Amino acid sequence: MSKLLEATGVVAGYGDGPAILNGADLSVHPRKVHCIIGPNGAGKSTLLKAIVGMLKVRKGDVRYKGESLKGLRPDKILRKGICFVPQERALFPKMTVRENLRMGGYSITNDSYLNNRIGEIEEQFPILKERHSQHAGTLSGGQQQILSMARTMILKPEIVMLDEPSLGLAPKIVREVFGVMQMMAKEGITIILVEQNALMGLKYSDWGVVLDLGRSLFDGPAQEILEDPRIQELYLGGMKDKP
Amino acid sequence: MILLIQTLILGIALGGVYALMGSGLSLIFGVMRIVNLAHPSLIMIGAYVAYWPFRLSNIEPMFMLPVAAIILACIGAILYRFVFEREARSAKYSEMTVLLTFALAMVVEGMLGTAFTNTQRITSPNYATEAFFLADIFIPKGQLYASIISIIIISALALFLKYSRLGYAIRATTENREAAELLGVNVNRVGLISFAIGLALAGAAGALVSFIFSFFPSKHWEWIVILMSLVVLGGMGSILGTVIGAFLLSAVAALVGTYFGATWSTLTFFIALFVVLLVRPQGLFGEKPELA
Repeated sequence: MSKLLEATGVVAGYGDGPAILNGADLSVHPRKVHCIIGPNGAGKSTLLKAIVGMLKVRKGDVRYKGESLKGLRPDKILRKGICFVPQERALFPKMTVRENLRMGGYSITNDSYLNNRIGEIEEQFPILKERHSQHAGTLSGGQQQILSMARTMILKPEIVMLDEPSLGLAPKIVREVFGVMQMMAKEGITIILVEQNALMGLKYSDWGVVLDLGRSLFDGPAQEILEDPRIQELYLGGMKDKP
Repeated sequence: MILLIQTLILGIALGGVYALMGSGLSLIFGVMRIVNLAHPSLIMIGAYVAYWPFRLSNIEPMFMLPVAAIILACIGAILYRFVFEREARSAKYSEMTVLLTFALAMVVEGMLGTAFTNTQRITSPNYATEAFFLADIFIPKGQLYASIISIIIISALALFLKYSRLGYAIRATTENREAAELLGVNVNRVGLISFAIGLALAGAAGALVSFIFSFFPSKHWEWIVILMSLVVLGGMGSILGTVIGAFLLSAVAALVGTYFGATWSTLTFFIALFVVLLVRPQGLFGEKPELA
């Protein structure tokens, strides 16, 4: 299968601190949902941050459509079609819902096109239309997550990376959030998901990657990972065997 | 009763100018987390830019207002590039800027003192000494004009922040720098532009101040207390808060001046700063400080 994005031997960490990633690899296939799983501190979020240029790639390379992203600023990488929704949702709480959507299209300079896109997204997510004049900070956790995912869609991105979208949400809301992710995938957006709830993440994904101690240990179809007894034992808490 | 109304009017007439003096400080803190202790010393430069043309060839200080704004904006861009940009990612940035801008204030004061001596100056266009009379109440023309112009400038700033693309970027960077960067905002450029705008506001304020207060290079130490107190009261980073803080404190200071004597009036600002930091450190419209 051809690869849309490929990270090879990535070494990265925060500031001058120790390396969190010690040669991580990631292959991203077009129009698929990828789930990166692994224990706390494995470097899942770090890998996403290194790809979008928030952290420096110290060694190794990240190639997108054959072109290296190494050393590019986050705003340049975004313009190439890679969006990142960080864990803390990164909304602007004192700006309205619509202003947040408008910020999502900040790199679009054609105003009428941008307004059209905002209109389309609001049609797709009626809750955002209904609350368009409300400050984003007053939305519920689930709504905030949906807003930050919908916001990336303004740009019609190629790849959207979601860092723990389920964090701190009730199970019912989590399913709603994953529903939005499926909707994005259906529109042809390639998804890279980092999920603490590995079982659930993999169930919604086509492809799985297991990351531990800053290295990629396994990379294959999500179904295979779900069925692999070793991975079940180590990373899924052996849940399948339990009654 | 007349005395009370008169006092309030005098206070409010100064409020607009204080608001303009403080708004640049607030904007720069909001976007960049720079506590710009040098802000009043830069306002002082604006005052001198208005003073000399008036003194030498009787040029109206209001005409010099845009000139002062442009000169200060250029100074701002240069300062930002060579002084403030370097450490912008440091975790201790705000703390560092306090020392940095303190030093900058000393440098500016020293340079102004060397160039123009510590003589008290004031531009004195005719309106600066005239007043409108409403029955027994008078409104000094100079303060009234300066306040009206200040409010116009601040309103323009507010509209710019609310509706322009760059305004969106500035607001977004103020709220969440990292998120803004992820959405394609070049936060460094936004920092540079905001810093330049903040100093342009200082320049404009300087031109207005030149005919309201007499000034000399070291007077900025007196102003920093006033500006800090009204910006902190309004909530660091909130322009609306700064405007409200400015009118409130300037009215209270005028009342204190009338009923307790002028020497006590400056104390209002010290006390306000003290009380706000104790009771409500985030001010009227500021973010609640996070417990780190």
